[in-house]
Amino acid sequence: MEQIVYESMSVGIKDQVNLLASMTAEFANTLNVDETLQRALPQITDYLKAEGSAVFLLDETTQVITCVACYGATEITGLTLEYGQGIVGKCVATNEGALVRDVKNDPDFYGAVDNQTGFTTRSILCAPLSVKDRCVGAIELVNKKNQDDLFEETDLKILETLSASAALAVINARMAKALVEQERVKRELELAADIQRRFLPDPSNAQNDQSQICGVNKAARGVSGDFFDYFTLPDGRIYFALGDVSGKGINASLLMSKTASLFRCLGKTVRDPGKLLGRINAELCETAAQGMFVTMVAGLYDPRPGCEGMIRISNAGHEPVLLYCDDEFKTFGASGPPLGIVPPLPGEDGAYEEEQIFPNHGSLYIYTDGLTEGYTKSGDPLEDKGVQKILRDHSDASLPTQLECLVSAVSHPGMKLRDDVTVLALTDSQRPLEDKQHTEAHHSDVEDEESDGDWLIDFKFPAQPSWMKLARACVRESCVKVGCDDRLINDVVLAVDEACQNVIRHAYGGPSDEEIELTVRHRPGRLVFRLRDFAPLVEPSKIKPRDLDDIRPGGLGTHLIQEVMDDVRYLRPTQGEGNLLRLVKNIDINKG
Amino acid sequence: MNLETREENGVVIFELDGEVDLETSPQLRAALLQHVNAGKAVCVGMKDVAYIDSSGIASLVEAYQSGRRNSTGFALASISDSALRVLQLARLDKVFTIHDTIDAAVGELTT
Repeated sequence: MEQIVYESMSVGIKDQVNLLASMTAEFANTLNVDETLQRALPQITDYLKAEGSAVFLLDETTQVITCVACYGATEITGLTLEYGQGIVGKCVATNEGALVRDVKNDPDFYGAVDNQTGFTTRSILCAPLSVKDRCVGAIELVNKKNQDDLFEETDLKILETLSASAALAVINARMAKALVEQERVKRELELAADIQRRFLPDPSNAQNDQSQICGVNKAARGVSGDFFDYFTLPDGRIYFALGDVSGKGINASLLMSKTASLFRCLGKTVRDPGKLLGRINAELCETAAQGMFVTMVAGLYDPRPGCEGMIRISNAGHEPVLLYCDDEFKTFGASGPPLGIVPPLPGEDGAYEEEQIFPNHGSLYIYTDGLTEGYTKSGDPLEDKGVQKILRDHSDASLPTQLECLVSAVSHPGMKLRDDVTVLALTDSQRPLEDKQHTEAHHSDVEDEESDGDWLIDFKFPAQPSWMKLARACVRESCVKVGCDDRLINDVVLAVDEACQNVIRHAYGGPSDEEIELTVRHRPGRLVFRLRDFAPLVEPSKIKPRDLDDIRPGGLGTHLIQEVMDDVRYLRPTQGEGNLLRLVKNIDINKG
Repeated sequence: MNLETREENGVVIFELDGEVDLETSPQLRAALLQHVNAGKAVCVGMKDVAYIDSSGIASLVEAYQSGRRNSTGFALASISDSALRVLQLARLDKVFTIHDTIDAAVGELTT
């Protein structure tokens, strides 16, 4: 008798060990857990002589428990339970197995499924799918096949043992999935950083020792919240900008991308740095979120002959811009708040103030605080002093070399950057030396005139033919006021009219809603007319009078101006873009 | 600016008045060229021209040149002082044929 019991037991243990071994191996090697669970379920169910079985998995984010596989009994794949609901839910929540011989007497039993399926559950065996404290689901068996049989403690032990290796497989699969996801995000970040780098000007430019302008951007992480950009306008001027978005990471880099795009796009038409920053500010105020803002410098460099390398610059809350010229440093600070904080007043363009810089063959440096706050080898921040020392030490080097020196002062192999480092440098040193005295003399002249002379007329009008009549009436009136005779009045009116026509034709390229500003001043013995437009610079050589022997229509205007006026000079306005024509007519009032 | 014309002995007569400037000269140019290119002799009376600028003068020059090419006559007549001054400044007073009166101009153009 004893012999028989022993044999049957050994047979049971042998099967059990075989089942365990094959299941463990299968779960350990599986690449597809759901499929393996689906295949393992019948074996477990049959071995433990149950009517049916199901595997439930817990979604660790939503805490919803879903049946992912079932066998025998009734089809319940897709059935969901709340965390802690029913015998399975409780098993998952408590991470403990359950042996319920008679569900009728168990308060945890969730009868709704039986009601829906028509199946009658008598007893339940349930083991958690868990590794240590982490429970990811449960395996449930229902009803022993033989109605009189009941689940036993040893059944639960076997189920728990099988569950453990299944749980390991589920957790491994989830970890693998998470890793793949992480890898995907990392790859997308790399792509984003790559796209972002393409927003910056072509880096091969920076390799050129002859370049007038070059920049560098070194991101502390993959993506950057800094940017710089520059491009040449059709008239030869160079538009440039550098910006720093508050904060770091993806959100900063997205705002950076937007700001950089706005600069590129609006810069093509808005050729005043102050107005441009005003426009970008308005855009950012409309859409920037979460209190983020951008500090930015925008400027326009004019390397054309006769323009003295003038730089018009506007600074929205950014670090001071540094000018290095004749072994001296000058700084130009912010003229307004960072972009994205203060929206423009309704009806106003919210333009930022501009500053005019005459670099006098020196160089201009714009950088983010990643440079000044970056740690040097000694562990101290570089600061403005450090930046200036490096520039002084390498004053004869090319721009790319200077930038390399600056960046390497705060970036050390194997050490993470403290913050993104971005530097933009522009040099006026390649502009040929020219008749500086000539243009400077004009400047002082202009200032003299502006602070002197009796005011006669200030008149601003659109560059339209229909406005010329009124402009002539204004000029006539001012001449009458100072007592000119009819002949002189007619001549002067004609000359100023012709000058306005030149503005409409040559500066604005035809009738325009842009304005012409006419001022008339009376100085002893002469009348001074100033005609200013807001168009891109016109080379005075393009509006030379024509040869009068060549009889043809057109080209007479400039000749008429020179015939009438005693002095005709093309100047540059002291503020903003445009052309300035100064006409002087000597008058002798005492005649009559 | 008055662009009405009348015809006398086959000569188209303009009697301009007012201001000929950048705003009005394109119409003058079109009207002059229309007649000149149609092979008509044209006389432009300028007694009442209060003002004329380089664009107005350019219209007259263009009509004058077309008239010469087409061998049709083109003359100016009874020019106001201010208009004459502009022609002088432009050194064109010796280029145009200028008559004291419209009748004289018509007489000359029909011979």
